[in-house]
Amino acid sequence: MGIRWQHIALWIAFIVVMLALPEFVSKGTLRTIIFANFLAIFAISWDVLSGRTGYISFGHPFLIGIGAYTSAILSYRFGFPVAASIPLAVVATMIGGTLFFLPALRIRGSYFALVTLAFMELMYQLVQVIRPDLTGGTRGMSGIETITRGAVNNYYLSFSLMVIIALAMWLVMKTRLGTALSAIGMNEESVRGSGLDTTKLKLAAFMIAAFIAGLGGAFYVHYLGSIAPRALFDINFLFTIIVAALIGGASTIIGPMIGAFFLTFLLEYLRPVLPGAERYFIYGGIALILYMYQPKGIYEVAKQGWGRLRAVRAGAGP
Amino acid sequence: MSQIIIQGLLLSGLYALIAVGFTLIFSIGRVLNLAYGAYLMIGGYVYYHFTQVLGLPQIAGILMAAIFGCVIGILKYRLIVKTLKGDHVAVEISTLILAVVIQAGIVLVFNDSSKILHPIVPGVWRIGGATVTFNILTAALASWAILIGLYLFVRNTHIGRAMQAVSMDVKGAAISGVDPDRINLITWGISGALGAVAGVFFASYTQLSPSMWVAPLIIAVAVVIVGGIGSIIGSLIVAHIIGFMEIISTTLIAAELRGVFTMLLIIGVLVMRPRGLFGREEL
Repeated sequence: MGIRWQHIALWIAFIVVMLALPEFVSKGTLRTIIFANFLAIFAISWDVLSGRTGYISFGHPFLIGIGAYTSAILSYRFGFPVAASIPLAVVATMIGGTLFFLPALRIRGSYFALVTLAFMELMYQLVQVIRPDLTGGTRGMSGIETITRGAVNNYYLSFSLMVIIALAMWLVMKTRLGTALSAIGMNEESVRGSGLDTTKLKLAAFMIAAFIAGLGGAFYVHYLGSIAPRALFDINFLFTIIVAALIGGASTIIGPMIGAFFLTFLLEYLRPVLPGAERYFIYGGIALILYMYQPKGIYEVAKQGWGRLRAVRAGAGP
Repeated sequence: MSQIIIQGLLLSGLYALIAVGFTLIFSIGRVLNLAYGAYLMIGGYVYYHFTQVLGLPQIAGILMAAIFGCVIGILKYRLIVKTLKGDHVAVEISTLILAVVIQAGIVLVFNDSSKILHPIVPGVWRIGGATVTFNILTAALASWAILIGLYLFVRNTHIGRAMQAVSMDVKGAAISGVDPDRINLITWGISGALGAVAGVFFASYTQLSPSMWVAPLIIAVAVVIVGGIGSIIGSLIVAHIIGFMEIISTTLIAAELRGVFTMLLIIGVLVMRPRGLFGREEL
């Protein structure tokens, strides 16, 4: 299905470089990359659902939150081993994904985005009120069991998770399912007109997105060791996920990864130059300008630049 | 009981004012302005700066808030909405980014601790068993005055009728000699000014903080969705439903649950009846 050897070579090169990275960079940089890895996972999850099908989800923190909270509660309050709590968290998130899916059967466009936003706010308020003895209420929980310790180990863990998800999604999107999902994004009626069951296809996209979000959320909470509602069900968190996917390049696999690394490192490299509150201002401003300049993202900019370069070379030749 | 009715009425008036600027934009361009909450925040902070830092009279503070909101609305239309040529998803995303940028800007200028506004009109009024602060009473009266004014403006003036025309059919309006671009610009300006004035009242009812824009945005979204696109009367009714629901859940159930019912209402209505309870194609 259009898998060329260059692709595989690029993947291998990427994985080798990333695996060798802890030998060359400091622990601080590794910690930054860990965050970028998790953000990339969330952005890939967002992209599977929204980037491909065009159903813009503003409620991704809702899915990630279900995964994170389920795993945290199971392991912290009930003493489940992480090996059991994470799969259960993923299952819970997929059930949440089904809930998420129901409004999508009837509504589209801006309205879908708004319902998902309402889901996120609902979750934020409920988590604090319903059973605070389990969720830890407003303050959340801390001291949750972590999977490994140390920057290097966590780096390998988060990177493996990210790269496995990315590769799996890359393969899934090469199948007819991936093609059909992108087609829904272009014109849902025609897809239905050509005899495909769009409801089933959309359900598949929601399930995959929920699976990744739940997995990412559960691993994330066991990396951080703590969880709080305001850090999770927050518009700023949502903003980072969506912008990472869009600024990198929606409906590609590499795009959300580029976007996640770009945003995380942008914020990190602005720190020495602008230590104060102006950092977030500049950071958001750059994201806005970049998005307005090319809504298709950095991947598209790079592709066009490459194409132009080749055209210039071809023109300069004989 | 009288407490619930009075508080509910007053809060609903405020919510109607918060939502109306959002409704205007949504009905005229079908554009979701996710940075709408930022107008309220800017309005609140501008008022705070001019009255409590510089010590100008309150009416000047409100006026400055309205001017700031209007200018920002116009800039937003010129620089973002027009540049993106009405691509809805792109406008939603970029206004979301803009809201986060404005939030960072507010932190930059005013730092991120929350601030208390002095009540616009101090004093309390007791009737029956109910206590009413003059502040929320003023807010409710002002929103009623503004809403009636807006309704008359949209119904009776030339520009108002042109706004209705553009919201119904852009091409048709253009053929009849209305410049849709100019009408859009005016609407964005009005929406910004309304949002900023609503922000002054909202901030005096709650408090000023850099994350205060989310709650009013959700209220505005709820009112518009549940009320249906482009119905000022619908928005008014729904503002009352939401206001009363909040007051009832605060006094009778638990204060923490006040937002939960609003969210459930949004989700329920959108799933059951996507065009809203009073959805009609009119302004």
